[in-house]
Amino acid sequence: MARLISDLVPVYVVGIGFHPYQYASDTSYVALGLRAIREALADARIDWEAVESSYVANALLGMAVGRPMLRHLGALGSPIIHIENASASGSAAFRHACIEVASGISDVALAVGVDKPPKSGIFRSPTGIPNLAEDAIAPFTHFALLTDEYSRKHRIAPEDIALVAVKNHANGAKNPNAQRQKERTLEEVLGGKAISGNLTALQCTPVGEGAAAVIVVSEAGIKRLGLDPGRAVRVASSAAGSQKADNDLNPDTALTIETMARAIGEAQLGPGDLDVIELHDAFTIEELFYAEATGICPPGRFVPMLKEGAWNIGGQCAISPSGGLIAMGHPIGPTGIGQIGEIVRQLRGEAGARQQPAAKAGLAHMVGVGAVCYVHVLTR
Amino acid sequence: MDDQAAALFAAQGTGALPDHPALNGGRCKACGYIFFPMQHYGCERCGSEELEPWLIGGRGRLVASAEVHVSMNPRRPAPYVVGSIATDDGAVVRSILEVPADADLAPGTVMTSRLVEETRPDKGPFDLRFAPETGRP
Repeated sequence: MARLISDLVPVYVVGIGFHPYQYASDTSYVALGLRAIREALADARIDWEAVESSYVANALLGMAVGRPMLRHLGALGSPIIHIENASASGSAAFRHACIEVASGISDVALAVGVDKPPKSGIFRSPTGIPNLAEDAIAPFTHFALLTDEYSRKHRIAPEDIALVAVKNHANGAKNPNAQRQKERTLEEVLGGKAISGNLTALQCTPVGEGAAAVIVVSEAGIKRLGLDPGRAVRVASSAAGSQKADNDLNPDTALTIETMARAIGEAQLGPGDLDVIELHDAFTIEELFYAEATGICPPGRFVPMLKEGAWNIGGQCAISPSGGLIAMGHPIGPTGIGQIGEIVRQLRGEAGARQQPAAKAGLAHMVGVGAVCYVHVLTR
Repeated sequence: MDDQAAALFAAQGTGALPDHPALNGGRCKACGYIFFPMQHYGCERCGSEELEPWLIGGRGRLVASAEVHVSMNPRRPAPYVVGSIATDDGAVVRSILEVPADADLAPGTVMTSRLVEETRPDKGPFDLRFAPETGRP
């Protein structure tokens, strides 16, 4: 039988770092990435020389971007692995950095995500299989269709689904690393630029640039390097999967339900044990689907509980306390690693104005075009 | 004409639904999986390479719809309405709908296929769309 990451050497996150997510600028990706890595090294209180392997996530920069960035930390000859997995690139890099440490091959690994939006659109190589209206249904329209389906099925007003954006913009306003740092009223969210169906611009993630980095370490590494175990956050589980046949309309949610169950089960927790959740909320409707997929509330109940404050910071479970993809942003490569950074900050009790009281367990979730899905549970 | 676009649908219908253009889908001979569009790479469900063309009738029920306000493609100027349709033959497709922009389309509405004049270059004379079946809610 295949083994789980929790069956192997325990893995801990000991350092987190960011370059704030921001709208596209002239800053090079090298500068973005180095700032995040240096912050993560300083947070972990280790030197670059201690890092034995580096996983570099990006989806938009092109081939072999890692070494031209990492060499400025000192080109010491350690392995570099590039990972592209669409929106889940950072989550995949984190998982494989954890697997390397959990296997005992390394005691210390870096996962860093860095990206900048392309100037001429995202290129995906053609498969040779066309489809009807494929040039008419962009991702935001895919999710507008799912918004229509969900709101009619569960009798939830689309205007109430927009409350997800109000919550996440409020959280992002407290996050200095967020791309959008402004509170928004429901009227502002609904009155913004119409995009597709009931989705408005402030209900859609901005794709900008930025970087996020984490350092993962084994117990042996913590002891050998003399690190403070009180600031180390355990990676309790890691689960991943891809879309199966027979699910053409909402593959992300079907895949998320399966992957969530494996990750939460591997961590030996129940959905009610989760204090903090970071989800792939690129569009407001996604937060409903994926939060309900954890099992923290029955299908169709997310919005009524949202209106009661259950998902606010200080509520039953803080969902997207970073601001989520809607407010913190979604620079693609960094996003999944940035989620881990937010969970670590929350579980350490270092999230300041965004702190969920007494947070002990957090979950990070990303999906990517394909579809692929990654879920990690972290605990104190 | 773009050969791939032309391969997506047939102007004639199926035997059971002759008045509406059919979708050129496929069927796996090994497991019976019905899919759209036809392809020869392998079955998504079982991996078999034994695939055969399979006409999918141009009728189904609406799952969801949305009016698109922003187009990412200048050849598809907004606004337009798109829908998800679960066909009677078991496939799920998404299509531009031939309806007024402010149409309030209920899930379950019976939709049928029709050909409209193609406005995009290199895509042939016709495009396939779905619209509510006349006289059926």
